[in-house]
Amino acid sequence: MKFSTKTLTTCAVLAALALALSYMESFFPLALVIPLPGVKLGLANIVTVYALYALGAPSALAVLVVRCLLGSLFAGNASALIFSLLGGLCAMLAMIALHALPRLSVYGVSVGGAAAHNAGQVAAAMLTLGSAAPLVYLPFLLVVSVFTGALTGFVASLLFRAMRYAQGG
Amino acid sequence: MKSSPELRPNRYDALVVLVVLSLAALLAVKPFLAARAPQSDTLTVVVSADGRELDRAALADFGARTYESNGHRLTAVSADGSLAVAESDCPGQDCVHSGAISRAGQSIVCLPARIVIELVGAAPGYDLVTG
Repeated sequence: MKFSTKTLTTCAVLAALALALSYMESFFPLALVIPLPGVKLGLANIVTVYALYALGAPSALAVLVVRCLLGSLFAGNASALIFSLLGGLCAMLAMIALHALPRLSVYGVSVGGAAAHNAGQVAAAMLTLGSAAPLVYLPFLLVVSVFTGALTGFVASLLFRAMRYAQGG
Repeated sequence: MKSSPELRPNRYDALVVLVVLSLAALLAVKPFLAARAPQSDTLTVVVSADGRELDRAALADFGARTYESNGHRLTAVSADGSLAVAESDCPGQDCVHSGAISRAGQSIVCLPARIVIELVGAAPGYDLVTG
């Protein structure tokens, strides 16, 4: 895999943006409204969706891995790494598969990604706890992910519109 | 742009939503049935950390107990046939916010402490032992 200078810098900017978004998200704790472990808006997913369409799967994957590594480094929490990585990779795989399907809009891809992210995080929780107990939360998390996924899909669609306008397309 | 996405939601997106919701419904069936099953009078609290059992006690005489695991400390308190995490020094406080449990099969999870608190029903047949 070889990155051109332009792709490399775009990836770096996107990774920084994703980091900033996940940090910003901690100021809007959705978990206060919906008291479930793991509930969050998933704003960083906007960046992943954008990277997937604009740069392709390998670059999007690079942005995701950098975001997860640096994010857990900044949080000073190594055990958070397995959660964000497993969640992020599941979301990534689901979105790569979904975005390859014709006709599916950015909304469907985003909702699928959000749902897969939650499934991955519950799997990480089951692994670290050595117990199937976290599985009880998954149905609720999946329902919530339909809404958060639609929201990030909406923001991503605004982003794509703005980029098309900026590029004169 | 490598590929240009559709920007308006359409019926194919509705299909994705439908799949996610049916998965949620499927996964919810088992806990739902368990919650509706007739409850035995005596519930047992099982506390485990990292998959190993730490403590086991009848809910009725659980009282308030404090556990330490993975650098975190939490206190579980039982009252009126239910159990809740009253206090925890973990950053997320998910275990405190998740409220009280009172039925067999329910659990409270504290991820930072890696503690799982479960309610299990009494051994079947116990109720049949009469003088």
